[in-house]
Amino acid sequence: MEKEEEDRNIRILRTGVLSPLKRWSAKWSLWPCHFVTSCCGVELAHAFASGFDGERLGTLNMGISRQANFILVEGTITRKMARPLRIVWEQMPDPKFVNVIGACGQRGGIFWNSYNITRPSEIVPVDFFVPGCPITPEGLLRGVRAVQDKIAGKDETTIKFKKVTLPSEGTGEESTAPSSPKKFVPTPLVKVDIARDVDWSSGSAIVSNLKSELDGLYKSITITDKNRIAIKTAPEDLVEVARKLSGNVGVDHAKSVNVIDVPHERKFILEYMVSSYSSKELMPVIITIFTDIVREAEPKFPSLTPLWESTDYSEREMHDFFGVKYEGNEGMNSKFILAPETQTPLRKDFNIAEETYVFDESVPLNPPIELTSDLKMPAPEGLFDEAEASDEFMVLVGPHHTGSGHLRWILRVKGDRIVDVTPDPGYVHRSMEKLAENRLYIQNVPLFERANISDPFCMNLGYVHAIEKALGIEVPERVKYIRTMLAELSRIGAFFYDSGIFGLFTGHSTAFMYTWAIREMILEAVVRMTGSRCTPSFIIPGGIRRDVPKDVLDMTSNFVSAINKRLKKFEDIFIYNPVFVARTRGVGVLTREEAIKCGVVGPFLRASGVDYDIRKVEPYAAYDKLDWEVTTGDAGDCLGRYMGRYEEIKQSLSILKQAVEAVKGMPRGDVINEDILGEYKEASEDIKGHLFHVYGDLVLPKGEWTSVIESARGTLLYSIISDGDSNVPYRVRIVTPCWMNLRGIIEASKGERVADFWSVYGSFGYFPPEADR
Amino acid sequence: MKKVTVPEQSTVEKAVRHAAAIGVAVKESVYPLTATVQYPRQRKKMPDNFRGYILFDPEKCINCWECAFICPANAIRMKEAPNKKYYPTIDYGRCIFCHFCIDSCSGGALRATKIHDVAYKDMDEMLTLTEEMIEPPEIIREDKKLVEYQIDEKDLRLKKTREEDNLIVEKAPPPVEIQMVSQCIDRASCIGCHVCEHVCESGAISSSIANGVMRMKIDTDTCTGCGLCVKECSMQILTLVRK
Amino acid sequence: MEEVINELMGTIMSNQLNIPALQPVLDSVSQLPVVGLLISFILWKPVFALLICPGLSTVGILLLFFPWVERKLCGRIQWRVGPREIVPWLGGLIQLLADTLRFLFQEVIVHKDAHRPYFLQFAFLSFIAALLPLLFLNAGNVIAIETPYAIQAMLALVCLFPFFILGLGWASNSRFAYIGTVREAFMYFAYEISFIIAVIAMVVLYGTSNPLEMADKPWGLILNPIAAFTFFVGAAMATSRMPFEIAEADQEVAAGPHVEYSGIAFGLIYVMCYEKAYILCGLMTVLFLGGGSGPDIPGITPLLGNDLMGIVWFLIKTIIVLTTLFVLRTIYPRYRLDQGLNIGWGAMITLSLIALALSIVLVQGGIVL
Repeated sequence: MEKEEEDRNIRILRTGVLSPLKRWSAKWSLWPCHFVTSCCGVELAHAFASGFDGERLGTLNMGISRQANFILVEGTITRKMARPLRIVWEQMPDPKFVNVIGACGQRGGIFWNSYNITRPSEIVPVDFFVPGCPITPEGLLRGVRAVQDKIAGKDETTIKFKKVTLPSEGTGEESTAPSSPKKFVPTPLVKVDIARDVDWSSGSAIVSNLKSELDGLYKSITITDKNRIAIKTAPEDLVEVARKLSGNVGVDHAKSVNVIDVPHERKFILEYMVSSYSSKELMPVIITIFTDIVREAEPKFPSLTPLWESTDYSEREMHDFFGVKYEGNEGMNSKFILAPETQTPLRKDFNIAEETYVFDESVPLNPPIELTSDLKMPAPEGLFDEAEASDEFMVLVGPHHTGSGHLRWILRVKGDRIVDVTPDPGYVHRSMEKLAENRLYIQNVPLFERANISDPFCMNLGYVHAIEKALGIEVPERVKYIRTMLAELSRIGAFFYDSGIFGLFTGHSTAFMYTWAIREMILEAVVRMTGSRCTPSFIIPGGIRRDVPKDVLDMTSNFVSAINKRLKKFEDIFIYNPVFVARTRGVGVLTREEAIKCGVVGPFLRASGVDYDIRKVEPYAAYDKLDWEVTTGDAGDCLGRYMGRYEEIKQSLSILKQAVEAVKGMPRGDVINEDILGEYKEASEDIKGHLFHVYGDLVLPKGEWTSVIESARGTLLYSIISDGDSNVPYRVRIVTPCWMNLRGIIEASKGERVADFWSVYGSFGYFPPEADR
Repeated sequence: MKKVTVPEQSTVEKAVRHAAAIGVAVKESVYPLTATVQYPRQRKKMPDNFRGYILFDPEKCINCWECAFICPANAIRMKEAPNKKYYPTIDYGRCIFCHFCIDSCSGGALRATKIHDVAYKDMDEMLTLTEEMIEPPEIIREDKKLVEYQIDEKDLRLKKTREEDNLIVEKAPPPVEIQMVSQCIDRASCIGCHVCEHVCESGAISSSIANGVMRMKIDTDTCTGCGLCVKECSMQILTLVRK
Repeated sequence: MEEVINELMGTIMSNQLNIPALQPVLDSVSQLPVVGLLISFILWKPVFALLICPGLSTVGILLLFFPWVERKLCGRIQWRVGPREIVPWLGGLIQLLADTLRFLFQEVIVHKDAHRPYFLQFAFLSFIAALLPLLFLNAGNVIAIETPYAIQAMLALVCLFPFFILGLGWASNSRFAYIGTVREAFMYFAYEISFIIAVIAMVVLYGTSNPLEMADKPWGLILNPIAAFTFFVGAAMATSRMPFEIAEADQEVAAGPHVEYSGIAFGLIYVMCYEKAYILCGLMTVLFLGGGSGPDIPGITPLLGNDLMGIVWFLIKTIIVLTTLFVLRTIYPRYRLDQGLNIGWGAMITLSLIALALSIVLVQGGIVL
């Protein structure tokens, strides 16, 4: 941005006789228009909630751009979001200020080479940058103070470094830069069905049953791992196989749709991962149906949406990523989550910037980013004309709206009733799947965690779990319990996160403040364990980074009882508040059948009466050793979903207590598996000093490794495809619960009143960065 | 399995619930459970393992490049110092504070501080060169009180003391001393270029000719494990192993 | 000519605000030529009512400090602090001064889809319209226009508010403003009837609609709590407070009719919301809380005199009601439009009719005279 424009606001404040008054009032009345674009929004909320209370500084969070004079750009501005940012900035009255918080909005942070990231400083003039990923609330408030000082006349960076002369004597020899630690195999053999001998008693029975059902339609049926079966078919038979599976075997939902690009063999591997809620036996089993098709510009393939509606949005996503056209799916005409100009980015021939390890002053720090030429927001074609022709009304909620989160909802409204909802996701699509293909396995730990920083441990755990499955390693007993403890802490945190947002959506700011105060306690425990509030990156393959100190364990176990006092008040003022109950009871009902059909997952599926919790179905960590119950409900409405989750959190508190007590009862010992440490045995209690030695050259065995875990909002699936030689994954597919729940939100809101949309939205705890990845 | 049912509220129950909600508001307006840390006048105490800004000690750096290699955001890039060694620079416009670099640093040259509240005027300033990473930086401090969150069995308590938190963690956990030695992993490929012998500062590498074949020898006692030979080896057949 | 002036002076001097403590000062000042005239003009009760209390100055001061009280109290209930850093030792008392000045100096944007003249006019008109009922509001025995129909007149003027809000929304010509406006219109009909009936119930009960006479009667809140409740809920609906903040729902329709306003135009609307609430709470004080009546406080009442004490009591009661009304936002989420309408057309009308019946019974039964 030109310097001129940047200084304009200060000039406005400096002119006129009333200049001192102008400056004083602007200084103490910076109303941020909260531009929640990504995960930093979580910390922003902490900064303005009970824990830090930004309102003290006179900064009152305001959702409406016309009345605000300050934008806090919270991290990632994707190509799709760039235009809204500019629009919002232009809508605001002068004088106005912009702070960019979080590394994504500066030089990209961990997404620095993403194909979908832009730099806010090229879109709007920025006053201050606050580093961090995410920033801490203190950092955010420091940014606000910096703007205040700037208005008052002191415009400067708040940190001063002291320069020290570096030692000049040395070897005198030229040392050269080593080459990149990443190893890529140029033409790897990619196979997703590698047979393995596993201890799975009922496996052969299921396979023989499948063989008899699918007689003549399959090429091979392989057991790839415990509870994992891969069926290879010919492209023309795949639909028939799917029909047989859904009709005769009882497979009723899809967990994932995947495409693997193998350019050197000129083929795409098309995968559908399906499973069943109705058959007890098949519940933990994930069946992968896959086929090879010819790699071309726009290969066509029949869609499976008529059989499993839950594949719908994932197919659209694959269409965006690979250009595969699923015939029969309605969403194939436009981009779903990508900006219009990005073409098939997940194909292997789409290159992104490579890491450089040597500092080179000639390389520009901020390489120019080509912004979208046509910055128009895409809207489904003909939608508006069609609606206007009848007596319906289109309401566009988002992407910048107090109650939209970071995506756009296009509501089609007749009177006060919602006829249809069209989602427009992808405003926080940071291209994690592409980035993961170019990073070491260990570097992907913090990457995937950023999908959902309100539930970081579960995000970590799922990915690490897949790696551990591939390497066939067991973690020490102590770690199992610590991991359980961490996962439950993050589940409880995520619940309170969603409760707070739900409170805001129904207009209850106190609910938000109370839950965020409780979250502050959780984060205190997390920061003392890991050193970071929201993005711990603490769970690593084979264990955890370091042991948890005793006093923090005490604090965590105190938390379980300390929470009660505050929880009681929260219950009284929000959960059992008759107005809240009136807003949610009987609203947005999803029946069992509808929920399964839409592919809803997690507590929201259980609220519709499906008894499915991966912690019980396919136990991981220490869940099978602790005493707890799965909670389900029958109502399937917003209140049912919320109360079901609340009940689940009470169970979580009990699990947390049990896990902490178990850890406390164990002697201190190894926290990282010995096999993975190799020769660095002394790192078994603390990885400090050895992280790269141990994990830098991690290579997974060839094949596809799929792990599912129960994250706070439901089934989280990681599918890592390794070629067996590279130390980077060949492809990683993540299916996050929120992405699957998106269809549920839409189905549940149809036919309800306009205001109910926010009840439904809040009850699903939708977290857009997690859905968009 | 536990079934959750939410019974309909009767009129009486509704009235009770209304009263309870109002009761909370009244109670809180008299005795609030305030949980606010009034930054910037107060500062929340962060634990010593907090992941903030990073300091660097060139004396301990063994030039192994692992911090740059492990950085998931490619925020660390190595810059050549006057002594021809490569030292890290950190771009805080990219740094995600995962501290993988610190956990990878086997020499203990990198260490964490508790500095995390910084605002930059200009994005170009966010690049921190090696020279700037050695001494602790100065930040604007307005805090008069230190607030510590204490969670006991009853509730969260904010313990406020009139002191300034030291953001530089003085007692850095002792760096793990690991003894490494250089080792040749593929003797057959050695071309006998003597590069390793030349670069070795401790004179641990010697050469001898036996039966007309050049033999290089690494003395494990004198080898300091600096890794210079590993980096310079023209055939890349040397590696560092544990003593 | 002189006669007219003398007559006017007579009228002014006969209806002066009586402040015993200041009397000696006033007596000496009144000898001065112009200042004396000015002071006695200001102390003339109708003018005092209009300019000082309950009129413009009170509104102004209230606007500068009441939102601060509200924000501080809400902050307290929400386990935080509220505005503070602007002057830490005063607890951020002058926060609203900064906000107001900022709005004053901020650019006013009229977007291109708006109907420019109306867009600006309605913002200012609504501000003025919201002031009109002050003509009939009394603080103790200080009132601008003394008429036996003051309550009815106020009610009529209060019912004008929504038209200006509809105007704001219509002139904005934006989707959210449009939905918000329609919601406002719906809500208007839902609360208005029960609201009016509740007032009538009190008029019936007191047997007069002259607010000055009502002050001597026992508190309406005790005589007819149902009417008081109906009135309070009606006031919450009329001022768009939780749980009836339906027309301005931030998360749903992005502040509805106000979505496009910026700078001082928004400032005026913001002010209007508080004015509206102040007037309704003042009316509530007059109708249900005995207006400016209150016990004598030895030592203070003789000093301030009855007139001023009436004002003080009125203000204290009004601020308490106002605070209660605003603190509702920390207790409740918001209802849906149809639920709001249901409550308005169903429960509230029923309750207001019961209240009316109760009043009639009380009056006919001779319990209240």
